[in-house]
Amino acid sequence: MALLKELLYNSGKPLSEFSSWMHAIWAGWGMPGFLLDFIFQLVIVLAVTAVLVLNALWIIYYDRKISALMQIRKGPNRVGPFGLLQTLADTVKLLIKEDVNPKKIDILSFWIAPLIIFIPTFAVFLVLPFGNGLVPADLNIGILYIIAITGLSVIGILAAGWGSNNKYSLIGGMRSAAQIVSYEIPMVLVILAVVLMSGTMKMSGIVAAQSNRVWFVVPQFLGFIIFLIAGNAEVNRAPFDLPEAESELVAGFNTEYSAMKFAFFYLAEYTNLFLTSAVAATLFLGGWQGPFLPPIVWFFIKTYFVITILCWIRWTFPRIRVDQLMEFSWKYLLPLALLNLVVTAVILKF
Amino acid sequence: MIKAPFEMEKISDEEYILNMGPQHPSTHGVLRIVLKLDGEVVTGLYPDVGYIHSSVEKMCENKKFEMITPYTDRLDYLSAVNYNWAYVAAVEKLMGIQLPERAEYMRVMLAELNRIMSHLLWYSAFGMDVGALTPIFYAFREREEVIDMVEGMTGGRLTHHAFRIGGFKNDLQKDFLSRLEKFLAKFEDRICEYEALLINNVILTARTKGVGILDKDTAINYGVTGPVLRGSGCAIDLRKNAPYSVYSKFDFRVCTGKNGDTWDRLKVRMDEMRESAKILKQAAAMLPAGEFCAKVPRVIKPAPGEVYTKVESARGEFGVYMVSDGTEKPYRIKFRSPSFSNLSVLKEITIGSKIADVVAIMGSLDLVIPEIDR
Amino acid sequence: MIKYLFDLVKGIVSLFEGLGVTLKHCFRRPITLQYPEKRPDISLRFRGRLVMPVDPATGDNRCTACMLCVRACPNHSIDVEKLIGEDGKPKPKVSKYIYNLGSCMFCNLCVESCAFAAIIMSDEYETAVQNKASLIMDLAAEKYKLSGKKAPWWQSKFKQEEGA
Repeated sequence: MALLKELLYNSGKPLSEFSSWMHAIWAGWGMPGFLLDFIFQLVIVLAVTAVLVLNALWIIYYDRKISALMQIRKGPNRVGPFGLLQTLADTVKLLIKEDVNPKKIDILSFWIAPLIIFIPTFAVFLVLPFGNGLVPADLNIGILYIIAITGLSVIGILAAGWGSNNKYSLIGGMRSAAQIVSYEIPMVLVILAVVLMSGTMKMSGIVAAQSNRVWFVVPQFLGFIIFLIAGNAEVNRAPFDLPEAESELVAGFNTEYSAMKFAFFYLAEYTNLFLTSAVAATLFLGGWQGPFLPPIVWFFIKTYFVITILCWIRWTFPRIRVDQLMEFSWKYLLPLALLNLVVTAVILKF
Repeated sequence: MIKAPFEMEKISDEEYILNMGPQHPSTHGVLRIVLKLDGEVVTGLYPDVGYIHSSVEKMCENKKFEMITPYTDRLDYLSAVNYNWAYVAAVEKLMGIQLPERAEYMRVMLAELNRIMSHLLWYSAFGMDVGALTPIFYAFREREEVIDMVEGMTGGRLTHHAFRIGGFKNDLQKDFLSRLEKFLAKFEDRICEYEALLINNVILTARTKGVGILDKDTAINYGVTGPVLRGSGCAIDLRKNAPYSVYSKFDFRVCTGKNGDTWDRLKVRMDEMRESAKILKQAAAMLPAGEFCAKVPRVIKPAPGEVYTKVESARGEFGVYMVSDGTEKPYRIKFRSPSFSNLSVLKEITIGSKIADVVAIMGSLDLVIPEIDR
Repeated sequence: MIKYLFDLVKGIVSLFEGLGVTLKHCFRRPITLQYPEKRPDISLRFRGRLVMPVDPATGDNRCTACMLCVRACPNHSIDVEKLIGEDGKPKPKVSKYIYNLGSCMFCNLCVESCAFAAIIMSDEYETAVQNKASLIMDLAAEKYKLSGKKAPWWQSKFKQEEGA
């Protein structure tokens, strides 16, 4: 019981104890230590991936239920209790569907695009602290790693747009490239302000910096708003869903995709949503910290709070136009983010 | 070896041609629009109509007069009653039938309910066009009520076949007026909700204000009618300017815009729904008792001659030109459909705007394809 | 400058207004009708597919094969064959009433033309079939039993006439 409590509230200690204990046994067997580390890493990666895929399925359901609530509908309620298995059924349907390869596609980029989008999305979670010490790999440049890896997904979308050999897809891919590049900058500037305040790039360090003072959402409220907007634009959700704008570009970059490749896009989209919300929760809402409940529960509560806000925005607003999207980023968000950064730096200095 | 999708020397900076339609989420039917693009900017546009041409006009030449009414339903399935009206009025004018007072009021009520139905559908479809997915559910909630009301009266949900030559086949159902009252009581609030959700939203105003500006002269030159013309600041409404039936007895405003941009057209439609509700209130209060159908001969044989009647439908002026040669069937029928003229102006107002604007502008024109193709 | 700021504030307020509308709707009851289990309330005058109901008094349909409906139909969806008696003479009874659901446009003109209230538009609205051939049906052979609220309405039609 005490162990369970320890595991829930202060996961780092028992886990490292377990690791060193295993290492001792392993060394007793006369095996090299790096092999065990490799096995540990593999187990961690598999566990995180499994959790994330299940979580993505759940978020899809959650998003649909939220939208149903706002649209005075009932939402999925046929498959399983309260329709909980609906996304699972959809995934199975996508798995067994015919995989259509249109003629004259660029086969390499067409096939590799879903993977390029899918893999980095999951790789990012390596540095995210889910609980106290519950972080797969606590890099000391964690936030830099997140920014770098999320930037990769634009290549996937561009590859999908080009490889499909479809005019709508190409426009969608181009839009996405422009959009992600221009929204990355205000996002990074906001993150920089947070890094200034916490004095570290380590994700667990940022969380720890919020433990003795208030959460960063209070001093960095403007930053939080900018982060939400830019993050929403990065994950291509309404009102920034231009790359897949249904009424203009049919389905944008995934017009020609079907079956499992489409499922990859879909899962990646929702995992990205979870990622943005999780990063927002970690940077601004104090991460896993909170009273009464175990850290991991707090982490998910905060993340889902941000997800709910993003869903709410998605189901309320119309889509922004492409030139206004750029204008909004460069003319409004970027100066505001710069201002935020400068003010933060000045206040911290004096 | 992976083959490139096309040879490199063929790549040049020529125009990017995009076929929007005939199957496209935002063309609302089978309409094809060929866009010439320079990046995201539209440099050329060519609407291609006729995919669902069904030669209704020719078909009507082989039908008896009373058989044609259901065909006019199908020209514009969103405000069928107005299209019935123009045709039925043409036959009545040729035959000199005088309608009983009650029938006139019933016609006005059904036509205004239809206008509300049509505008509500336009509102939800426009929401979809600009990427807001929630308005459709709110608007359809009210639209369903209106449809149920009209269905209770006529028996059809979209293609009502409501009017007969000389009046109606059935009287209003018993609970029609009470349901209408209940509906109108909350409808005003609902319109305010719609406006708060979509029309006044800053993202939408940024997207629609100053986009697709249609000035008065161009509008008149192209024969544009209806809310599109009124959005350009031209206060022409057949219900006021050439009042047919009992429209002259009602107190309502002709809603107009100022700049003729997309947003003005949206606002005009939202205001028109309010005005329609106002007319409905007055009509329900003034509805006289009595007959709902005039005495009509069993065989309908109008005197030889020609006639043109027009009504203000939800989309604009719908006119019927009919020539009768004294037989049971019309010699020639020509429908003047508002959407056709409204579509023809699309090229004038979209060139130079973005792809997303084409969708928004097309949504603001409120096109119904079967009526364009006929 | 003041106008710019005013517009900015107005824009942000409009965003929150929209969010307020959707939030308000979160607490309203869903309007969904769980369709196959729950059915909408169909109005009395609803025009579903054409049927020739059996008169419960006689156990037979009321058609006299007068061809009025055939002439009234704009699409030629109806075809009627008269019953030929044993003596070789046509009887005022229908032997085959061919109705093409595929080309019917539910305008109600045939029902209105019928002098004997032999046919009526039912409240059946699920008219999809697997193959095109089953769209063409023989209403006389179908022996349709009208039920629901349309039945008394239909019977009152001809009972009045017979009484008068």
